[in-house]
Amino acid sequence: MSDQLPIIIVLAPLFGALIIGLVGSRDHRVCVPVVLVALLTSLIAVIGTLTQVLETGPVDYFVGGWEPGKMAPGVHGPVEIAKGFGIQLRVDTLNGFLLLAIAIVSIFVSIFSIRRANQEAASKTPQFYTLYLLLCVGLFGMTITGDAFNLFVLVEVTSLTSYALIAMGRNRRGTMAAFNYILMGTVGASFYLLGVGYLYLKTGSLNMEHIQEVLSANDFEIGRSKPVMVAFVLIMVGIWIKMAFFPLYGWLPNAYSYCPSTSSCLLAPLMTKISVYIMIRVMLSVFGWEWIFIEYAGWSDAVVILAVIAILAGSTLALAQRELKKMLCYLIVAEVGYMVGGAWLGDPERWGMSGAVYHILADAFMTLCLFLCAGIFAKKANATRIEDLSGMFKKMPLTMTGFVVGALAMIGIPPTCGFFSKFYLIRGGIEGGHWEFVIALIISSLVNVVLFFRIFEIAFFGAKPAEGHDHAHHHDEDDHSSNNQDPIDEPTLLEREAPLRSLIPLFGTAAIIILLGVYNGQIVEWIRLTIKP
Amino acid sequence: MKWIALIAVTLTGSLLLVGVGDFPEWGDAHSAANEGPKLESGEQIATAVSQSFLTDTDELTQVPNVVTAVLADYRGYDTMFETVVIFAAGLAIFAILRVFGGDEVKPMRAPEDDTFCEGDHSRIIIGTTCKLLIPIIQLFALYVIAHGHHSPGGGFQGGVIMGASFILLAIARDLKSALDWFSEKTFMRLASVGILIYAGFGVLCQFFERNFLDYGALKTVMFSSEQMARSYAMLGVEIGVAFTVTAIMFAIYANLSSRGELKQGL
Repeated sequence: MSDQLPIIIVLAPLFGALIIGLVGSRDHRVCVPVVLVALLTSLIAVIGTLTQVLETGPVDYFVGGWEPGKMAPGVHGPVEIAKGFGIQLRVDTLNGFLLLAIAIVSIFVSIFSIRRANQEAASKTPQFYTLYLLLCVGLFGMTITGDAFNLFVLVEVTSLTSYALIAMGRNRRGTMAAFNYILMGTVGASFYLLGVGYLYLKTGSLNMEHIQEVLSANDFEIGRSKPVMVAFVLIMVGIWIKMAFFPLYGWLPNAYSYCPSTSSCLLAPLMTKISVYIMIRVMLSVFGWEWIFIEYAGWSDAVVILAVIAILAGSTLALAQRELKKMLCYLIVAEVGYMVGGAWLGDPERWGMSGAVYHILADAFMTLCLFLCAGIFAKKANATRIEDLSGMFKKMPLTMTGFVVGALAMIGIPPTCGFFSKFYLIRGGIEGGHWEFVIALIISSLVNVVLFFRIFEIAFFGAKPAEGHDHAHHHDEDDHSSNNQDPIDEPTLLEREAPLRSLIPLFGTAAIIILLGVYNGQIVEWIRLTIKP
Repeated sequence: MKWIALIAVTLTGSLLLVGVGDFPEWGDAHSAANEGPKLESGEQIATAVSQSFLTDTDELTQVPNVVTAVLADYRGYDTMFETVVIFAAGLAIFAILRVFGGDEVKPMRAPEDDTFCEGDHSRIIIGTTCKLLIPIIQLFALYVIAHGHHSPGGGFQGGVIMGASFILLAIARDLKSALDWFSEKTFMRLASVGILIYAGFGVLCQFFERNFLDYGALKTVMFSSEQMARSYAMLGVEIGVAFTVTAIMFAIYANLSSRGELKQGL
């Protein structure tokens, strides 16, 4: 049984999605329990696999039993299975923690989504949850696979479901943004596929491990051929579009800010991060770091400079935003710059690569925390713009506490995980001699200080919108008018504060942000087990 | 913007041209993808998977069509997710377009007296042709599905043909009469059932203590040799694929043609 754990991670949400597809339309109430059971099963399977990985090293799973070297029964006697025959799943310490993060984030968001999804598209609840679980299937599958083409198929699953989740809201701009995203995303996926085609042409295999073996044979003789180089560029550009790396980020801000809150809470923390992971996986497991950093050393400098521009541009654009969600979206663009830059700092023996992987984990939870708060503010207080947040500390102290934790992590203040990931990245930058990257990181942190302390100031000291203040979108107008005159009618804290189903995921995330920070040494050590060549 | 696009296209084009330099000859039987990657010295460092597929398929699965064996067995995990992609596409269209409620069905035309008008003549011709064509199309679809592991064909192609027969009915008469045959509830469920069949075959193998989609494990259930069990299971999963594809093809047409109201098509 325990050897089947890796596939259960992917299968549990798939079966959940199919069950909702079958019976969900009859009774909408089955949806959330099915989602939770499916994702919890995945979580247990992830934890089981991860313990195996930490005890005995990487766990391989061969779908269909096509394990290379195994003797399979043929008609006229056993046949030895060749390398790359079937599809391989592989869990090591690099993707094990990411699987864990995906499982935790998706469970938190599904708790957050109870009822919310119903309100945003009442009659389409079962379809929403089917797509939600299929998106989780795609994310798990992308992370766990050890096959370059299987990765593409799961990218398709993830992309299609995320387009639908973004377009599902009532907001017309969301539909337009989703269309924009479809165009960009399809171009990205096509680039990736073309790159894999070129690789297959030169290596005759699709299995990552096998490709690397062939490429590195006889001191990278095949790796030095032109199609392999072109394949690398194509794959990288494709993945960069998917992760919204600097010049290719155009689709992200609208797509993530105009979609339903639940969708943005699931997509914003995971999609770009998993794309960064795929980039690192392709760099380490397909082409090999020696190939990238020794054979083509010039590339890494260029990419680090692009990353520096990404960080600076993302931070500057975030400063210019007046809507909370838009601001967070531009921060994601900057954070992607952190991770890409960190991964390209050179020799993975240094700290840049480990810092990038640790930052993927940290950033997933930081982004989730902030997007959850943005969702709660938008829903409960109808506050989407930054100045709408005035007086929030008084109005919703618990939600605001969660927001502060997320914001401090984004700025990078110990003991939150954001501090340690920045610490590792800066250390990597210094080791690699990329001072421009170090400076960009520090500037970006300072910008984050400005961004978030501005919000704190508005939320803490800002007076509540005075009576008669002309706000176009105020649902709870009677609350405000009664504020000054009739203290009896003033809603109690319990009424003003977000419901429990929103607060549980929020505080869970905040706790993880701090725990990740406290145990950063151990986690990074585990991650380095895989990265170290 | 135009200039940026032009530069991007030129860059991509020249990048692709750079790669062409080292390509193997067209149809070269000894190329890396066909035989195996070789070093300059002529030493072959690995066997290409396509080579092992060609030599081992008959031994392992007894399926004459190697493509089907690769698609449904060796890389069956990919194909399962391809089916999921189609399912997700159908769901996405439903999620974005479908509108519930709305006006009552407007009749296609005002009720008329019994006299023939010009439109009715063409209706008779189209109706009779469809009556003749649809069963043949569906029979052909079943043949393509069932014969997938012997000749070109399989679940995806057969499913599309089957879906086309329902679309033809919807175009020739109207969407409503097609929906009487194949209601929304049916096709949305059928789409899930298809993948459930596929993944069900995989999970069934796990109950015999083999890996997911290791069809050989099913020999005890199918009363056959391990190789034939693989062959039968491939047919089984192809049928699952066909269910999903048929349902989603029709779902996409129905939603697109009626702007999501599923009342009155084109």
